[in-house]
Amino acid sequence: MPLEGGMAALRQSVALSELDHVSRVRVAGPAAFDLVNRVTPLELYARDGQMLHTVLLEPSAQVLADAYVCRDDEAYLLLSEGPAAPALLDWLRSHVQAGEQVTLEDLGPSHEMFSLSGPYAWELMATWLGTGILGLPYMGFARGDGWTCFRAGKAGEYGYDLLVPRERAPALRAKVRELGREFGLADLDLPSLEQAMLESFAFNIRREGRAGATPLELQLQWRISYQKDSLAAAALRERRTQGPRERLTFVRSPERFAAGDAVTSGEERIGTAVNAGWSELLGAWLGTAMIGVAFAHPGVDRYQVGGRPLQTITPPALLNRSLVVNPQRHSYRTRDKDTFPPLVPGR
Amino acid sequence: MDAALKAHLDRRQALLDQVRALIVKQTGRRLAPADIDPDAPLFVSGLGLDSVDTVELIIALESELGLPLPSDTEAVPALRTVNTIVDAVLARPGGTDRAA
Repeated sequence: MPLEGGMAALRQSVALSELDHVSRVRVAGPAAFDLVNRVTPLELYARDGQMLHTVLLEPSAQVLADAYVCRDDEAYLLLSEGPAAPALLDWLRSHVQAGEQVTLEDLGPSHEMFSLSGPYAWELMATWLGTGILGLPYMGFARGDGWTCFRAGKAGEYGYDLLVPRERAPALRAKVRELGREFGLADLDLPSLEQAMLESFAFNIRREGRAGATPLELQLQWRISYQKDSLAAAALRERRTQGPRERLTFVRSPERFAAGDAVTSGEERIGTAVNAGWSELLGAWLGTAMIGVAFAHPGVDRYQVGGRPLQTITPPALLNRSLVVNPQRHSYRTRDKDTFPPLVPGR
Repeated sequence: MDAALKAHLDRRQALLDQVRALIVKQTGRRLAPADIDPDAPLFVSGLGLDSVDTVELIIALESELGLPLPSDTEAVPALRTVNTIVDAVLARPGGTDRAA
């Protein structure tokens, strides 16, 4: 079935998404580094204008938030999914040590966020802000006239997250919509964005984050460092020594299933589904499941979820067009003359 | 667990261990092989492998696991994660075993 609306735009042109669910907090002051370094489980090696994709962890090593830590001169911006900004601020305050001077500012009341994502998002951005924006590297951010642009994204496509002052947001958004007409721009709502994240096996704090698991089970070890003495260091090292008992695994089924459904192999329960959603692109139900490590491998089509057939598969579910669209050779205007591999390999 | 399923899972685990060890060896990352998650991205945002690592890895995969050098279009999807590499090894002629 052909993709429609925002999902078609995300996978084939450009999609506009509101990022109201992202908490944005600025940490400044003489102890800004000390605080951010303390709560970040990844080595805080970031130059000015550079972002790190990490997770914030409880001392037990359970994931609290999915976060970008952005070095902004001597301050830091935290763009975080998980706790709402007030709860995140409380959590950060609880880790400020006696005598430390640090300022925590919730940018939510003063700034809005929206994103442009898709294989031609770069071209709309260049049309809007000038070709200089094409030099912004992945995991970098830059400022311009009333905007801060973060080169990120969780749907496997070119992604630009915009932080803009609230008073300027309507005009900037209107300009994007006006320019976006030439690029097939369409709105993508949060449920669709989350489905796109699932297709790309991107961690979703509102789904996989509910599993009460650590980065070891969630396949997020690349966002931590075992060498670093952060809040959760002891718990992470202990879990690493023991080895994870379960691993987040990508699954699909021709039949509907839901988070919480039992995953079984014959009569044996081997895990639990933690996320599920219908993929128009695949024509199947996709999901993630926490499965015992001995069983958590792709290529098995004899497991069941809630009594329905289940197949373990290798993510991601698609070959994102952003992987093959090259700003030096391609353009949305001439896309029909270009040949690209199918979004779903083999189709 | 029946024999066919066990054989499939054992084969995948053995290849997973081999590919992880190969990545650590070839890239010199200060990691234990088990620190590399099977479905984590190997490049840019994930493990952060670069173009030099890619060349080293492709050569090692061919010499140690018999994975033919991929074309440009094949390399992008095949080298995204450890599990995509394991899939490619299993899909090569003589790689055997699929869908237990």
